[in-house]
Amino acid sequence: MSNAGKIGSLGRMVSCFALGIFAAIVLLGDFIAPYDHALQSRSEPAAPPTRIHIVDESGEVRWPFIYRRSLVDPLARTFEDDRSESYDLTLFAIGDPYYLLGVVPARIHLFGVDQKGTGTPRVYLLGTDELGRDRFSRIIIATKFSLIVCPLGAILAGLIGVVIGLLSGYTNRTVDTILMGIADTMLSLPALMIILTARAAFPLELPPVRAAGLLVMIFALTGWAEFARLMRGLARSLKEREFVLAARSLGLTEIRIMVRHILPNALPTMLTQVLVMLPYFLLAEVALSFLGVGLQEPYPSLGNLLASAADINRLQREPLLVLAPGFVIATFVLTIRGLGAKSERVA
Amino acid sequence: MITIVARKLLQGTLTLLFVSIISFAMLSAAGGDALTALSDNPQVSSETVERLRTVYGLDRPLSKRYFAWISAAVRGDLGESFTYRTPVRDLVLSRLSNTLIVALPALILAFGFAFSGAYLLESSRSKLLDRMAEIWIALSSSTPRIVAALVVLLVIVGSADATTRQEPGSYLVVVGCMIVIALPLQALLLAQAKSELARASGAEFVKFARAKGLSERVVIVKHASREALNPLITLCGLSLGSVVSGSIVVETVLGWPGIGALMVTAVRGRDVSLVMGIVIITSLLIWIANSMAELLQMVNDPRLIETEAAGNE
Repeated sequence: MSNAGKIGSLGRMVSCFALGIFAAIVLLGDFIAPYDHALQSRSEPAAPPTRIHIVDESGEVRWPFIYRRSLVDPLARTFEDDRSESYDLTLFAIGDPYYLLGVVPARIHLFGVDQKGTGTPRVYLLGTDELGRDRFSRIIIATKFSLIVCPLGAILAGLIGVVIGLLSGYTNRTVDTILMGIADTMLSLPALMIILTARAAFPLELPPVRAAGLLVMIFALTGWAEFARLMRGLARSLKEREFVLAARSLGLTEIRIMVRHILPNALPTMLTQVLVMLPYFLLAEVALSFLGVGLQEPYPSLGNLLASAADINRLQREPLLVLAPGFVIATFVLTIRGLGAKSERVA
Repeated sequence: MITIVARKLLQGTLTLLFVSIISFAMLSAAGGDALTALSDNPQVSSETVERLRTVYGLDRPLSKRYFAWISAAVRGDLGESFTYRTPVRDLVLSRLSNTLIVALPALILAFGFAFSGAYLLESSRSKLLDRMAEIWIALSSSTPRIVAALVVLLVIVGSADATTRQEPGSYLVVVGCMIVIALPLQALLLAQAKSELARASGAEFVKFARAKGLSERVVIVKHASREALNPLITLCGLSLGSVVSGSIVVETVLGWPGIGALMVTAVRGRDVSLVMGIVIITSLLIWIANSMAELLQMVNDPRLIETEAAGNE
């Protein structure tokens, strides 16, 4: 038992750490990404990851550095290092301009090679895509987008679910039957199919902000049923409790009892549920973008990055690099599961 | 018993009606239809588009259109698809059978794997195996279907040109689809089966069976499993929905002409009648599956018939 507890708490620590990294990516994504996600390097299309050296020509170990590469054979996509000049990797490197948190103009990135003039080579941790854009930066920005859209959708869905669940658990039986009938119907149908049906009602190609807004709205309108079911159960059990009886005997209105007494007691469970549901919303967003009806090129999302992996040639040539967004998704899902398992045990 | 069946039928009809109204309203009201894209074409004048709208009846008010659609749908006519120019019903049914060819074996595979896995874990009582199973569940349920499908695609393509130097055979695609659909499902079922079986084998009647001197295998298979089976049957019925959801991505990646791939084409082409057809037929199928699951539960546990007959709650 104590052994199981130890491993559980270790898993939880790892999950918390990973969640912290995801939060950092959401807040400081542009700072962590070494380059602008849309910037194309014409001389290095579909390039493999940059080799990072720590041993120089004379055989001495030194601070990590890279060489400038040039495309030798455009057909076979072979690159050659130019060993005449080396460039040091630095922390807090000066690079492409961006807006920190969307407002503060900045040029400092977490790591990279200080940009001096136009000829400075770039460090590509995961190589570049066919347009010469840095894959690593694109994954970071894509993660940021996905992790803004999904929690927003989950929270909105949770709000709708709380209202419907309260109504259902608190008013008369007819309302309850109708609302829960609707919720059960929503739950029994394939979620992705409902989402796609809702998506079909809107124009296919949308600018990124509107696409994000639309995704949030669709997630909220299709994802509330699970929350409503839970909230209804909570409301029904809470309204029989002594403190609610006491409140009622003091002559408080039903609305006040609902808002001041039932809701605060249901809140922790509902917040946990929002967290537990996050992976489902993320997977839905990924599926939509993968199918080309979510966020679209040139803006990166985890789904449309994976769509480029559906190209068989690219998939065969560098499977790990094109599937990298998939690892991000899997890590996020595992992280939430790790936290969720623990919170379930506490409850 | 008859009242139960009647109530279920009424519920099912109401559900389908509700689904059809909501999706019809959503698809028609939000603006734009299959002809919106046509008006971008400089070769087609706006008069032509308007004329086509009249031909397809898209200029009539929403309620009239819905009424026309539902009265035809009841007679089994779901209209014609804009993109394929064939009757929606035949198209959806043929694609649905393709999906079921893959999905039903996947469901059986996942169910069989989960139950035998849970049985092994319960009878061996090994801490190590249990831990390994938990890791397996966590990993397999966290792998997105898209990634699993892409990996399967990689394997299929790789094996095809390395050994046979032929086009990848469709049986490989079928098996691949099955595996990808079954993967997250078996994790869900295994987790559930594991905990249900552990709960059931702690129950009084199981202790009694053990005290009678029955072998551990008989105790688990004949006594504990029966108790653990009902939640799993519910889950199986419900998971058909997740199978259809999964098929959307899997079929698109692996190029299997099932209902999921059809749905994607329909949404991309804004083919309203096709989307409606897919939604209605899928809802019908899922309702049938859930009802069958309930029936199976009653066969497994006849006590349920009495509680059902006495009314819910």
